[in-house]
Amino acid sequence: MHGISYYDLRHVTGEITHIEIDNAVVESAGTSLFNKAILRVLVKSGWGILQIDNYTPCSGTKFDELLGRAARLAGITEEHVVLGDAPRGTLAVPQLKENPRDVSIEEKSALLAGIEKSATRPGIVNRRASYIERIEQVRFSDSSGNEYSYEMNRSGFNILAVASRNGNVQMGYEREHSINGFNLRHQQKSGTKAAEIAVALLDATLAKGGKMRAVLDPELAGVFAHEAVGHASEGDLIQEGNSVLSGKTGERIGNETLTIVDDPSIHEFGFDPVDAEGVAVARTEIIRKGVINAFLHSRESLAAVGNGVAGHARAMPGEPPLVRMSNTFIEAGDSTTDEIFAECKNGIFLKGSRGGQVDPGRGIFQFNAEYGYLVENGECTKMVRDVSLSGEILTTLHGIILCGNDRMMSPGYCGKGGQSVPVSDGAPHILLNDAVVGGSGVD
Amino acid sequence: MRWWVAVAWIEQLIKEGGKAVDEVEVYFVEGTSVSADLKRKKLSLATISQDCGLGIRTIHKGRIGSSSTNDPGRWRECLAASVASGKLATPQEWDGLPGPVPLDMTPLSFDPSMEVEPDSAKKLLQAMLDGATKHTAEVTSGSATLSSMEVTLANSHGVRYSDRNTSVSVSLEAIHGQSTGYEFDQSWTLDRIDPENVGERATFFASESADGKDIPYGEYDVLLSPLAYAELLGNVFVPALSGRNVHAGRSRLATSLSERVADPMISMYDDPLLPGADGSVRWDAEGSPTRRIDFIRDGILCAFAYDLKTASRYGKKSTASAVRGGFGGSPAIGHHNFVVDGKRETVDDDRVVYVHNVVGAHTANPMSGEFSVELSNAFWVENGEFQEPIRSAMLSGNVFDLHHAISGLSPASRAIGSLILPSVKINKQRIIGK
Repeated sequence: MHGISYYDLRHVTGEITHIEIDNAVVESAGTSLFNKAILRVLVKSGWGILQIDNYTPCSGTKFDELLGRAARLAGITEEHVVLGDAPRGTLAVPQLKENPRDVSIEEKSALLAGIEKSATRPGIVNRRASYIERIEQVRFSDSSGNEYSYEMNRSGFNILAVASRNGNVQMGYEREHSINGFNLRHQQKSGTKAAEIAVALLDATLAKGGKMRAVLDPELAGVFAHEAVGHASEGDLIQEGNSVLSGKTGERIGNETLTIVDDPSIHEFGFDPVDAEGVAVARTEIIRKGVINAFLHSRESLAAVGNGVAGHARAMPGEPPLVRMSNTFIEAGDSTTDEIFAECKNGIFLKGSRGGQVDPGRGIFQFNAEYGYLVENGECTKMVRDVSLSGEILTTLHGIILCGNDRMMSPGYCGKGGQSVPVSDGAPHILLNDAVVGGSGVD
Repeated sequence: MRWWVAVAWIEQLIKEGGKAVDEVEVYFVEGTSVSADLKRKKLSLATISQDCGLGIRTIHKGRIGSSSTNDPGRWRECLAASVASGKLATPQEWDGLPGPVPLDMTPLSFDPSMEVEPDSAKKLLQAMLDGATKHTAEVTSGSATLSSMEVTLANSHGVRYSDRNTSVSVSLEAIHGQSTGYEFDQSWTLDRIDPENVGERATFFASESADGKDIPYGEYDVLLSPLAYAELLGNVFVPALSGRNVHAGRSRLATSLSERVADPMISMYDDPLLPGADGSVRWDAEGSPTRRIDFIRDGILCAFAYDLKTASRYGKKSTASAVRGGFGGSPAIGHHNFVVDGKRETVDDDRVVYVHNVVGAHTANPMSGEFSVELSNAFWVENGEFQEPIRSAMLSGNVFDLHHAISGLSPASRAIGSLILPSVKINKQRIIGK
């Protein structure tokens, strides 16, 4: 009908519960509802897409009208999109240890207030805690007869503590987000830690920029993997000619100890039971033992580029699927943390992440640590603040000379094309040679 | 001309809500947008999006509740959720929602001739591609979006305002070897954008930034383009002017009222009634009539921005600075047309490091203002001409401190989102070369 060669429909309904507490005041708390759908159509053409708010599932003439509208849109496109074959199937969504639905919002609010209160400490002028819970019911169907539906429940909290002294304002920030169920209980330590870091940063010095050896903690090294490798391996960017990794499959980019993986199938915050175009999710080794191995793909980019694995299309409710990372990590090596600091000898130890950004075409990335310490003779000494790292994708990875044996994952959100999706990043402690460290300190 | 059309369900919602709470506010947005995307030089995707959003706030004895949905058919559930939400909120001082005032209801950023149609988007893409042929660089992706929306604000004090907006935006990315270029343009009317120029500039930067040379570590006079300046200003300085951040202890400017916070040549203000600007609006997201706010006059900090909630709590008046994020979002402190102004002069005669864009400004420390960003499309500029490109380097500094080191503002300004900015010349900034 309408010459349509393929269509798919992804309909997501759900509710979002949020609580925000600012200096012991419950600023807002409550629930919002949403209902969004996206219909994509190919007519031996590019995509014709309808984004529909408050969609009512329909069939027959009514659905046919929608298909017709999308097909007319497809008619103005010039590209002939081909979809690659990919395995189908869905994974079970992990059982919730405690279902957030079974906890009243009053109790959630009281638990969050406890976390917020635990950030009280001399020197702290502001504490802000927020809780967010998203329950999504996803229904997918396509013209090939594939259908699936599932419910995902993601929840978690952030706590920010702000310390101030004589015009010097510093912050500590902790967060915990989960797909495994309600996680507000017994979390006061997060508030305490945020407050301790904010106060300690009042006495930290500004890092001095330059090239040096750097030890990255698992959280920051995870962001490094995400920014320096993950984005540049996204198949849509490769297809557009906007990645320095384009055409480099099989080339060595790092040493033997370096393996970088994206795996939407593991039960971390970036988990998807199936991707946004109905493809089964699986582990993809982007870099295997230092060599560029596979790109992340949608069905479209797989057909156009090859050299990789589909199942990496992700989307916010009602938005078009894009090739995205999910759970991205550097595999553990065999070095102990002591060995890493001993080998670093003199340099800098960087902890936590304030996020990062990459220009994948140019191969340049930047990301920022929450704080760090100078490393002198293998020991952490003076605390430093406001320190960032930048580098070039094609050369910096050779600088990873040791990978620790202690991989950990951290949850977060990643933005691309105006869409923000849940992800996790992780790594062991790593030692980076010739790291380009940015900071505005002077000797 | 008044656009208000009595929407029966909104009247009913306010009436029903009034039975349970002191005050009710309804914000309803409906719109259509059309976009077309390029993959390399081919139109690969066309989208029509129909969006709507309903945001309800209920206030009872100083407890503010809120909820939202994009399904107006479920307004009863949404109202109940808002009332329930209010019961959880801590009560606060509350001076009440505004009543109606006679306002000219002619839309300020609405182009009735704009056709929100796929063909309009296709033409914009073609114009960008035409402009892109002027330099040696490959187009990697591009996008054109047109949209039209109608906004309705109503409250239990009799406010019944509505407004219409249109918007158009175009962007293009290009690459030459390993050198990338990006440019965009935006307006409420097609007459004020230049898609050909966007194509020309994106490919110019990709092509001209190739074969850049390294720059040694040191202090340099830097010229930030409006785009690069917007990244630093928007992520750090503008949030520090929010009354909420000020009173919560999250702003470095909190105790600096009447003090010098920038070079005396600098003024910053929000002018919601600026003719022709994208963010122009006669009433804010809570129905307070808008007016100009002077945040910084001749380098002196004069005012902070307030919405009703923050103003009531701290004994201030709303500056009509409430804005809503997305469809049906709750109001929060923002701005409409944020302008940085001052004496204008030529800023690119002497040799200076020109920075077109930066990577990673959102990782700056919003409390202290410290930042380190990677430069994008940086050049040596002299006598008004681009000289040799700079390959790769970081700029490190402090967003608050650098405002004291501003030594010039370019003659022309440019809108970057809701910020209207000149290029700014800043003396002695630290660059960390490779």
